[in-house]
Amino acid sequence: MGKRLTYLVFLSCALMMLPVAPASAQKVVKIGDLGSKVGVFEGYGKYQTMAIQMAVEELNAKGGVLGHKIEIISEDDETKPAPAVRKAEKLILQDDVKLLIGAVSSGATLAVMDVTKKHKVIHWNSVSCAEFMRTTKFHKYYFSNQPDSRMQATGLAKYMVEKMGKRVYIFYTDYAMGQSDGRQFKTALEKHGGEVVGVAGAPLDTKDFSPWFGAINQSNPDVLFVAFAGTDSLRLMTQLHSFGMTKKYKLAGIDCFLLQQDLPAIAEPMEGFVQLAHYSAYNPDKNMQAFNAKFKKKFGVDGNIMAGAYDAVLFWAAAVEKVKSFDADKVAEAQEGMCIDNTHIGRQCIRKEDHQVIMDMHLYQVKGGKNIPIAALAGKDTIGEAMVGKDPIEGFTWEIKKK
Amino acid sequence: MAAVLLPQLLHGVVFGAGLGLLALGLTVIFGLLGVMNFAHGELFMFGAYAGIAVISVTHSFWVALIAAPLIVAAIGAVTEMATLRPLYRREPLYGLIMTFGLALAFREGARQLFGGDMRRILPPIEGSIPLLGMTYPKYRLFLLAISSLLLLAIWLFFTRTRAGIVVRAAVQDAEMLDGLGVNVPRVFTLTFAGSAALAAVAGLLLAPVFTVYPTMGVEVILLAFIVVILGGMGSLGGSVVAAFVIGITQSLLTLWMNPQRVAIAIFGIMIVVLIVRPRGFFGREGVLE
Amino acid sequence: MSSLLPWKGWVVFAALAALPLTPWMTKYHMLLAFDALLFGAVAMSLDLLMGYAGLVSFGHAAFFGLGAYSTAVLLERGILSLWLCLGLAVVIVGAYAFVVGYFATARRGIYFALLTLIFAEVVYTVFRYTQAFGGSDGIQGLPSPVILPGVALDTPIRIYYAVVLYLLLAYLACRVLVRSHFGQVLVAIRENEDRARFLGYDVQRYKMGVCLISAVLTGLAGALYAGRAAYATPDLMHWSISGEFIIMVMIGGLGTLVGPIIGGAFFILLQEKVSSYVQWYSIVIGVVLVLIVLFAPHGLLGFRRGLRARPRREAAG
Repeated sequence: MGKRLTYLVFLSCALMMLPVAPASAQKVVKIGDLGSKVGVFEGYGKYQTMAIQMAVEELNAKGGVLGHKIEIISEDDETKPAPAVRKAEKLILQDDVKLLIGAVSSGATLAVMDVTKKHKVIHWNSVSCAEFMRTTKFHKYYFSNQPDSRMQATGLAKYMVEKMGKRVYIFYTDYAMGQSDGRQFKTALEKHGGEVVGVAGAPLDTKDFSPWFGAINQSNPDVLFVAFAGTDSLRLMTQLHSFGMTKKYKLAGIDCFLLQQDLPAIAEPMEGFVQLAHYSAYNPDKNMQAFNAKFKKKFGVDGNIMAGAYDAVLFWAAAVEKVKSFDADKVAEAQEGMCIDNTHIGRQCIRKEDHQVIMDMHLYQVKGGKNIPIAALAGKDTIGEAMVGKDPIEGFTWEIKKK
Repeated sequence: MAAVLLPQLLHGVVFGAGLGLLALGLTVIFGLLGVMNFAHGELFMFGAYAGIAVISVTHSFWVALIAAPLIVAAIGAVTEMATLRPLYRREPLYGLIMTFGLALAFREGARQLFGGDMRRILPPIEGSIPLLGMTYPKYRLFLLAISSLLLLAIWLFFTRTRAGIVVRAAVQDAEMLDGLGVNVPRVFTLTFAGSAALAAVAGLLLAPVFTVYPTMGVEVILLAFIVVILGGMGSLGGSVVAAFVIGITQSLLTLWMNPQRVAIAIFGIMIVVLIVRPRGFFGREGVLE
Repeated sequence: MSSLLPWKGWVVFAALAALPLTPWMTKYHMLLAFDALLFGAVAMSLDLLMGYAGLVSFGHAAFFGLGAYSTAVLLERGILSLWLCLGLAVVIVGAYAFVVGYFATARRGIYFALLTLIFAEVVYTVFRYTQAFGGSDGIQGLPSPVILPGVALDTPIRIYYAVVLYLLLAYLACRVLVRSHFGQVLVAIRENEDRARFLGYDVQRYKMGVCLISAVLTGLAGALYAGRAAYATPDLMHWSISGEFIIMVMIGGLGTLVGPIIGGAFFILLQEKVSSYVQWYSIVIGVVLVLIVLFAPHGLLGFRRGLRARPRREAAG
């Protein structure tokens, strides 16, 4: 029995290694959609896929790109850097994708950047917001249309200090994204004359946040700034609300704190929450409304900030058409400084120096479970200076300055 | 100082009570069946999901509180009869390995049935009251009350009812019981089902606080193991005491260390105990030695 | 005393060495093969402990992870020599294994499993929450380690040959150990610990010894893994990974050395191929494990042996 089984096992191993049947005769180009499809950030991953699908359908209806039909290969990175790297390798080495969009979690995106750099693949990031991606970790194939933590801090901090309150407590999720937001917001808030009365980080996937509430209450802030995302945010707001803290303090946070579709479930705890973002289904801007309408028609739900992935595909396709090639070096060069008119908010341009899209955004406040715009911010005011290769957190300290 | 200390103490007691319910089931199974049930966390998780299912039909948390544990108890009974019974004659390590496999299957099964994203169960009691200088949610107080009541009821069961005494006797010496004419396999199955029900109750009670997701059992199982070992494997009172000790220690330590280090401290305590006094607070000699 | 390796073994290794020359070995497949063989080797080293000594370790992932972090810490500081990385892994994993082994082997059965589990959880927690090691994201973006000046492990084909060599050496080492006097004492301890003690053997020392060897082999595998993957993360040390190692051994067959290699390779290949199409493969793995424990506890390929023998049985070997 043992011998036969051994042969069986060897055989199945060999079988599994064989490549799948070749694709149809038509020319096909593949793009990779890497993100969290399960777990804490599942919503973001799902909407990323949807946004990409919509863009690809539109392009394929017009003949694809360079006469090639676009095919999407979606992979789940389990919201962790290690699986993200493995899946990125698979997408690049086995599936031969010419564009990689992802990941969702900043930790995963940073890790995948090493892979896309090594194998020279165009890499678009539409949601991760750590500040290292367009500074120390930057490489020529990387592009982003997500307002990173520095941009968000630049845009939001002033409003917070002037309109909400000077004393701010920063509560963040203790990994790449949250730490980045914590750093940038502390810096920006202090620069604008605010006082950061306390900072604390909770591990990713914390179940019970109440151990931190005592410290928050003790420091007596005006504003509670929260840098969490996904299911952690839901849990946090529920718990904060049950301890009466959502009414006691003003609330502010990062753009990816909660996706619009999760808001109605916790409308009351989130009432008055202020954030900076580049998309809301309730923004009267006509481009955004047009995009939302077609997204809703296709998927039956409103769009959200993951619409950035839609733009990413369009930018890439436009660049490929311009240089008539899929070669990463040529496409990367073409994308620098490129502007297109059909993004979800109309015309947007990619800045040459750090490959960041200059995004006109708004400050939003949650009212009745909806993100309503309360102020507009021009892209050039929030984008900050290009710091490619420079350390964005030089001289930063977590220390609380006592006044 | 008291204003900071007392609320933390309360957090700890609340959590400890829930943990106690969970650990109690685990220690009974070990004492009785010699199996360290790796799938206990998944039974905890099933309790929460069963609760969601019942609530979606009946819209009542209270009905779910009765129905969900019964559902999970049934799952437990079937599992025991199908998979664990053949293992009793064997090395206890097999139980550990097999329940690990069960846990994997259960976890993924729940994800397939209910989806991977987080679900919420709204607390049946809303609102908060001013307590100890902060605004404390009423639901957590209710949690404490009902957990304590349950623990009391279980203690009474084990000490005052015939069925309970039979189970305790079986924990001491199953063969003797067989000799006395008790249907031992039935006792085993019912006990396992009861332990599953306890885990389910804990899962459902804690769900409004922690929210519901397929991997909620993974995070809690190790803590439950620690409580059981600390209290003494097979000692019912020991695991309850240990649960409160761990709950309170964890809560108080977060005042002085950041919460990450607290986890390391708890494990450190565990290792020291395992080395110095492997039988735990109240365990029987010879179980591990 | 038979030769170092029977001719069948040489044939297999020759086949493995020739594999990159076949047409369907793309870069991706070579990396996949690396993973399969590496984890097969890990399963084999666990089999030393489980199959031969009868000790179930639920904390083997910690050895693997510590080896990976040893490499990562050196590589990120610019110390690129593979040999230094391996050496550091041996030292660190050895030290950790010595401590764990000393306490875990002091008592019996389930105690060993629980103690290895808890120790591994401590290691996992320490690495997950310590920023110096990168916290929950671990250490990323490592450069490739260097074997000789100018020769780095930076292409899939070199990485592949590295693991084939490692597997060969590890297998030979295990084989020698298992057939030696030391190995036979281990089996005696597994069969009846008290009798071995009465015969005058220092049982704890033997147990510690095999624990150390198994751990170091696994740690070396971890060190190699960090070199290939260019990262080390705390998830490598989670107890669910330890569980997966046990599954690999159980699929392959306890006490056979070769079985676990196949079991490990099979598990990795299955995971990689199937997880892209089907998300519920974990259910299959879980059910398979349950079935194996119930109906084939010696594993699918193993001899008629379990974790403990029945009182009346054939002679060992």
